[in-house]
Amino acid sequence: MLEVNNILVNYGAAPALWGVTLQVQPGELVCVVGPNGAGKTTLINAIAGLHRVREGSLHFNGRDITQLASHRFCEAGIAIVPEGRRLFTQMTVLDNLELGSFIPKAKAHRQASLEQVLSLFPALKVKLDSPAGALSGGQQQMVAIGRALMARPGLLLLDEPSLGLAPSIVLDMFRAIRQINAQGTSVLLVEQNVAMAMEIASRAYVMEEGRMVAEGQASELLTRPEIQKAYLGLEAHD
Amino acid sequence: MIMSKTVIGILGAGALLASVPWLGLPAFYESFLYLLCHWMILALSWNILSGYSGYFSFGHGAFFGIGMYTSAGLSANLNWPFLWTLPVAALLAALLGVGLGAVVFRVKSVRGELFALLTLAVTFVVGTIVLNTRIDGGPGIYLNAVAIPALGPTASSSIYLMALIGAVATLLISYRIQSSRLGLGLFAIHDDEDVAEVMGVPTFRYKLLAFGISCALAGLAGGIHALFVSYVTAGETFTIVVPLTVVLMSVLGGTRHWAGPAVGAVAITCLMYFFTAGNNPIAGKAAVGVILVLVILFMPNGILGYLLKRTAGKRSVPPVPVPAAAALEPAAPVSTGKVLLDVRELSKAFRGVQALDGVTLQVHEGEILGLLGPNGSGKSTFINVVSGHFPATGGQMFFEGRQLAGLEAHSIAQAGIARTYQIPRPFAHLTVLQNVSLVAMFGGAALNQAQATAEAWKWLAFTGLQDKADALPDDLNLHQRKFLELTRALAARPRLVLLDEVLSGLTPGEINEAIALIRKIRDRGATIVFVEHVMRAVMALADRVAVLNHGKLIAVGPAQDVMKNADVVSAYLGTPHA
Amino acid sequence: MSFPSFNLLAQSVLSGIFIGGLYGLIGLGLGLTWGLLRQINLAHFGLVFLAAYMSYHMATVWHVDPLLTLLILPPLFFLFGVGMQWVLSRFAISPFNSLLVTFGITVVMESIIQAIWTADFRRLETHYNDQKFTVGSLYVPVPELVTLVIAVSLSLLIWAAMRYTDLGKALRAMAEDGAIASAFGINQKGMSLMLAGICAALAAVAGICLALTFTLTPSQIFAWVGVVFAAVMLGGLGSALGPLVAGIIIGVSEAITMAVAAPSWAPIVSFSLLIVMLLFRPGKL
Repeated sequence: MLEVNNILVNYGAAPALWGVTLQVQPGELVCVVGPNGAGKTTLINAIAGLHRVREGSLHFNGRDITQLASHRFCEAGIAIVPEGRRLFTQMTVLDNLELGSFIPKAKAHRQASLEQVLSLFPALKVKLDSPAGALSGGQQQMVAIGRALMARPGLLLLDEPSLGLAPSIVLDMFRAIRQINAQGTSVLLVEQNVAMAMEIASRAYVMEEGRMVAEGQASELLTRPEIQKAYLGLEAHD
Repeated sequence: MIMSKTVIGILGAGALLASVPWLGLPAFYESFLYLLCHWMILALSWNILSGYSGYFSFGHGAFFGIGMYTSAGLSANLNWPFLWTLPVAALLAALLGVGLGAVVFRVKSVRGELFALLTLAVTFVVGTIVLNTRIDGGPGIYLNAVAIPALGPTASSSIYLMALIGAVATLLISYRIQSSRLGLGLFAIHDDEDVAEVMGVPTFRYKLLAFGISCALAGLAGGIHALFVSYVTAGETFTIVVPLTVVLMSVLGGTRHWAGPAVGAVAITCLMYFFTAGNNPIAGKAAVGVILVLVILFMPNGILGYLLKRTAGKRSVPPVPVPAAAALEPAAPVSTGKVLLDVRELSKAFRGVQALDGVTLQVHEGEILGLLGPNGSGKSTFINVVSGHFPATGGQMFFEGRQLAGLEAHSIAQAGIARTYQIPRPFAHLTVLQNVSLVAMFGGAALNQAQATAEAWKWLAFTGLQDKADALPDDLNLHQRKFLELTRALAARPRLVLLDEVLSGLTPGEINEAIALIRKIRDRGATIVFVEHVMRAVMALADRVAVLNHGKLIAVGPAQDVMKNADVVSAYLGTPHA
Repeated sequence: MSFPSFNLLAQSVLSGIFIGGLYGLIGLGLGLTWGLLRQINLAHFGLVFLAAYMSYHMATVWHVDPLLTLLILPPLFFLFGVGMQWVLSRFAISPFNSLLVTFGITVVMESIIQAIWTADFRRLETHYNDQKFTVGSLYVPVPELVTLVIAVSLSLLIWAAMRYTDLGKALRAMAEDGAIASAFGINQKGMSLMLAGICAALAAVAGICLALTFTLTPSQIFAWVGVVFAAVMLGGLGSALGPLVAGIIIGVSEAITMAVAAPSWAPIVSFSLLIVMLLFRPGKL
């Protein structure tokens, strides 16, 4: 469904991603882990069309979207839940959700999508008229995910959804993400919280310093020495 | 005052022009030259604050008007000899400017367009007050009865000569400021005021000083102009015309150069004359508008800026020979174990988010301390609070026994603390060399200009950037910009260096270079606290490691031990759902 | 300084409301581009006056009813606004430089106006001028009333559009976080052009109202800049109702000042308010 081939992305004048390749098959839940500065956010932003790809290509559902204008990525079927939520804080929760379905093909199903989102996150029902900026971190994360779902995407991109959230809320969050995937949306998840991410993902990639350094089944990746080294700087001792 | 070629040139040109009244030319020429000088004083003085520091003022009319009314009132109503009114005019204008600045410059959010509007509003308020009180009262002030000081053979030539002296003085002041510490500080404020403050520039004081000088000169121009027009009314004086014209002249000529506004003043005055004297004054005015639009769009740096860029090629000459890194004073590594930085219960809250929560930590002299933690744990906030970029909301900080809380950032810098920014924040319009020498001047080392430049060269050689000395930061790649951050921090000869993710974004080879460099820095006697995610660097460099999570300190000690600590592992990798 | 009669005071307040409405109407377009596009468009004033003169011309020379010009000029100005924005967006201009560039454009417009219509005072004489009716002992002149009604309706209309329509919300989202807005399908470039066009059309409407109520002369363009900026800043950048409310407050306080003290004291109120707002709560109301 999503094919990222050997992309080179710059941050300012210097390269941030080198030769990164990954795939997401329809219906999969794939995660990308790695320490800070590994380039995970740059990768997600490039896939969402927020960042120009210098070399290499992006294909989605067979279509080459590498040179597509930023505002067309949503129509193509990709929606993003950005790092730090980036809600429209001056507007109400309902406005934020409705804006998620700005594109015509999502607008047609706005009511149905809204009901789905509210059944996934019932806590938002009473908050619809509150300004988005007034909500707690966890609630804001729910709105951010809801906003992306309103676009009825084929692929949902999540950038560090657990950032800054209390552990109990993180559990609910991941439960919701697993449910979204079960309902048919493919998910590409970038996470710092490796343990949590590996529980819900089927496959995973490990990034370090702008490159892919490992890939494989989630269940066995956690024990691999690459993760120990990348995250904790510990060389394998035995 | 150094008698540089420029100064001699200015004085020479001034002397030459001073001879005009005796050449027997028609009075028209004196009037025209008067206008040139008049606008030169106004545009140059405006530029001293607004061009150099970026605080675009739309209030120049207010200070000009105050000067005008002071001179008019004192000489016409109180019969003062005219020449004595001029210093008073300048002084009163300066006092108002400094008074206004003292209030406004403290408000962080009033910058850019807001400052422009506030100063415009001040103009109208002052004008209204002048119009409605005894200062003017309505009919205006007539100066026909005022005795004109006999500087030249005729009345108009005397007025012209006064303006000429004013113009020469203003040119000299403008030139001297640009090449001085004040000028460099103002340029830094222009590019990034917060960083300038953290690097040691006393921003409040400098802005106030520049504003005061600017207003004083405007007041002087106003005083002379009162005599020129000989009839002063509020309605004609306190308008938007003077500020807009002055902005136009300076931007046209180039705001970063001491002579730019003068070039612009001459260009516009000649253009206006040429067009209005012709058959079609309206077309003339339109043409001036078109020229302004084209210049801003295509030559955003002004005429002078554009010309200088074209002719640039002269490179800064390093002192002969470029001192090798080894020529730096012999290192004095210290590892006495004495506590250098003592942080107790430090807290910082932003609108609802507790970024730092009662952090207590001691940094020992001569050590390299790694500050770690997952994203959002408060590491950068720690650096921001210690360096004074943000004020703490609780707790205390002691550096070499001195209380840091409550000090302004530039004082903290001068105490011997330096920092780098995670996303490099160089002064975009200053060269690499200037970026570094600025810190050498204003930071803990507090050197004079010549020494600072030499010092800058030494440090550029140390970090390997000496070939890029004349480049602008935009021309550097990320690696070089990070190293520039580092060089800037070092040039202040700090006792404590705070590094914020210096290595992120670098290639493995570059990281190795950086690790070696950081070791050398410690070997020269600095203490280092560094925030980092590149774990192998942390392992290689850190003597001790402190780990933050959710704003709290959860572990501190030797690196290998801490990284095996269960709390630390779960903070980084997360806890699996049992 | 004798205290004026109640009647005089009430009449002053009324005229203050009327002129405040005009301040708000002029400021509406200015505030929208400033708040949503980060451009300080001085040319807005040029457009207002251009529309005023064109409406004067159409009414006086071609005998078109001024209220009909409301149907002709705004669409024309919409196109002009889009065109101007399209050209300017090809250059990356900082907000401050946009102030200077649009100042230059305004000077050009002022010259064009002067070339065509000369610097003589021009007054739009229509059958509306002398129409007024009385409410109690107060005189309500029709042109001023029409202006106020237009100002209030347009402000409310825009406010509602920004609040309730998808396009309005998209604009607000774009102003807050352009990149994420674009990630959800909002075309920033297209939106900016459309907004510029709408604001130019608003300028046209304001100009027509100006022609109905004031005597025109080209040099007057800059006299309005100060007080309208004050209204926009006090009302809040990007707000639809703010400039109107602030404009009326300024108008009324000016009028009362004029009635109670001397007319020449009037500017001090609006500008002092502006200074205080800037120091203590910049850009918010």
